[in-house]
This record gives sequence, structure tokens and C-alpha cells, in this order.
Amino acid sequence: MDLIIFLILLALGYTAGTIAEKSHYRSIEKRERDLLRLPAITMKRIPYSVGRIQSATMVHGSVVISVDYFKRLLAKLRNIFGGTIKSYESLVDRARREAILRMKEMAGNANIIVNVRIETATIGKNAHRKGVGCIEAIAYGTAVVVKK
Amino acid sequence: MTTMKYTPRQPDTNVNVTPTSPLKDFFVLSGALLAIAVAVFFLLGFAVDFVIPYISQETEKKMFAIFGNMAEKKAAFPEKQRKLQALLDTIQRDCAKLPYEFKVHIKEADTINALAMPGGHIIVFTGLLDKVASENELAYILSHELGHYANRDHLRGLGRALIFMTISAALFGTDSSIGNMVGHGLSISEMSFSRKQEKNADEFGLVMLNCTYGHVGGATDFFFRMSKEKDPGIFGHYFSSHPENQDRINNINLLIKAMGLKKEKLKAF
Repeated sequence: MDLIIFLILLALGYTAGTIAEKSHYRSIEKRERDLLRLPAITMKRIPYSVGRIQSATMVHGSVVISVDYFKRLLAKLRNIFGGTIKSYESLVDRARREAILRMKEMAGNANIIVNVRIETATIGKNAHRKGVGCIEAIAYGTAVVVKK
Repeated sequence: MTTMKYTPRQPDTNVNVTPTSPLKDFFVLSGALLAIAVAVFFLLGFAVDFVIPYISQETEKKMFAIFGNMAEKKAAFPEKQRKLQALLDTIQRDCAKLPYEFKVHIKEADTINALAMPGGHIIVFTGLLDKVASENELAYILSHELGHYANRDHLRGLGRALIFMTISAALFGTDSSIGNMVGHGLSISEMSFSRKQEKNADEFGLVMLNCTYGHVGGATDFFFRMSKEKDPGIFGHYFSSHPENQDRINNINLLIKAMGLKKEKLKAF
């Protein structure tokens, strides 16, 4: 009986997780193309003379993504044998890119975002003894509007 | 200040995500884990089998005195218990002569089963007593349990269960999905192991039954009636670890023929 529940959870985790990931990646790639006109760079200096700057505001975007049952099991197995936890790579990648996209969306009609930083944090790690297993990615930077 | 030309573009490949097949990964890893667990389990299992002949019945009694204490507290069915104990004593005194002091305990549960616990404590569930029709049937079931003591299966089973629990707890903690997964894999391999034990105990039981009554009437009655009953459900513990009833009846009948035993009138219980 336990085994049946376990297999259902596993199958559900795998199918639902795969579908969610694929559709998220489609959405990320589309929005990345749309927002290509707005560069987000890590430089601290602004490549314009001070006189041309109309405004500079802080922008940020954050996202929380949860791991599915299948990925978690795969990671637990990896924990025993060691090696790269490939099942979590796409999770972190999605979180970072989504955070940058949200930051860009917040910037509106800015010309450039400088001094971009990305940070990650785990959330709900020890809730109810069993880890909930989500990751938060937050991206922040300074959005600059330049006079024409 | 000079400015660089900035051309925005999307990267063609994603270096941060390894292209991989997660399903393949999963099967390889869990397969390897299961293989290791099975190997360790069997190696330690053989170690248990190796050690068991050197554990004297006296030591066993001391080690597992707790089972006796646990069962001692309540004698829920004094009348039935007295009858069962008398029957068991007769088999033990006249035929089995095993180096144990056997004690029967009756436990209220629907389970159609009897258990051989360490230290000579036999637990009979009321579910089984309700189904039994003759003294011979009951004597056969008790003799079958005595067979487990003769082969010391009760210690083997316990030793292996202990090893599994230790491995599982050490690797994954007490309550974990991987522990359960490996556990299911192991219990399937364990089942064939216990089937051999059941067959040996059947043979021993048959000899005891013949010795006690002078014939083996009633040996297959219980299993025959059980096989007539409909689907025992997922929780029919008796059926999961014991060989299929029909197989068992056939096997017992073969043994009866091979040993040249006969069936006669049964005694009521």
C-alpha cells in the first residue's frame, strides 16, 4: 500500500514537474527575447555622462520555486553517491532567470540596469521537520533612464 | 569617456543546466542503491545464520525475556489458553522434545496466524482459533510453529529484520521514502527465503502430528478451508508470507505419500 502511494507520488512529481518546467522555460525564453532591448549589466559605472541621467531607481525581482517529489528523491539518491545534483540545476537556473526578468519588468522604460546582483536563499528548510525545499532567487540593480 | 558598443543577444546554449535524462539517472541510482542494500543484507544475513547455532537456548531465553514479560500481563482467554497449553505440552513431552519451555499466549486480533517468538513464546491470534475445527488441525499448526523453533527460524527472521532496520535507519533516518523503497525491494527477496522455512516447518509439523496421534488426519484441513474462502484482502498477512495454500496442500500431501503416513478420524477441539 505504501509502495503504491509512493509510486503515484513519484509519477505525479515527474509528470507535473516536467510539464511545469517546460512551460516555464518557454515563458522565460519568450520574455527574454521581448526584453532584450533593456541591458542588465554588473558594471558599477554608468557608461553615460552624469548630465544625461534623468533618473536612477532601484529595481528588484524575486521568485520562489519549489522542488517536486521526483527531483527531491533524485537529489536524495545523489546525496548518497555524490556528484553534481543535475536535477536541481534547472531549478536554480529558472529561478535566477525569472528573477532577472521580473526585475527588468519593474524597470519599465529604463534604458539600462547597472550594478545587477543576484542572490539565492532557501526557504522553509526546516518547516515540520521535513524540508519543504524551495529556492528563492532575488535580483536587484539600479535602473537608469537617460535623456535623449 | 569612451563607450563600448553593446549588442544584446540571447545565449545559444545554457551552460548552467546539464542536458540529462532524469529518469535514467533515477533508475541507475536507485538500482545501485538497491543492489548494495541487498548485498549487505544477504552478507549480514549469512553472518546471522552463522552465529545462530552458537546461541544456546539458555542465552536466547535470557536475551528475550522481555517477550515473556510483555505477554505475561494479560491472560485474556484462560480456558482456551489452558487447553492450548495442554495440547502443546503433550506434543512437546511425547514427540518434539525441543530444548525449550514453550508457553502459549492468545492475542485478540483478526489475523489468521500464529507466531514463534524468541524464548519459546508462541502467540496464537483469536482469528486463527475461530477458524479451527478440530484438535488435530490445531496440533498441526502448533507443531508447525515448533518446527520453526527446531530450525531456529524465529532467530533468523529477527536477525535479518534487525539488520534491515539498522541499515535503513543509518542511511536515511527512521522515516523516509527511500528507506521504504529499499524495504519493499528487500522484503520481496526475503519472502522466498521464508517460503523455504515454511516448507521445512511443515515437514516437521507433519512428523509431530503423526507422532502425537498416530496418523496425520487434519494436516491439510486448515489450508484447504482457507483456500476455499474468498480473497483475503491486502491485509491477509498470513497469506503474504506463507506459500500459496494450494501449493502448500499439494506439498503436504506429497510428503504424506513419501513418508507413507495415513489419515484417520479427527478429535474435536
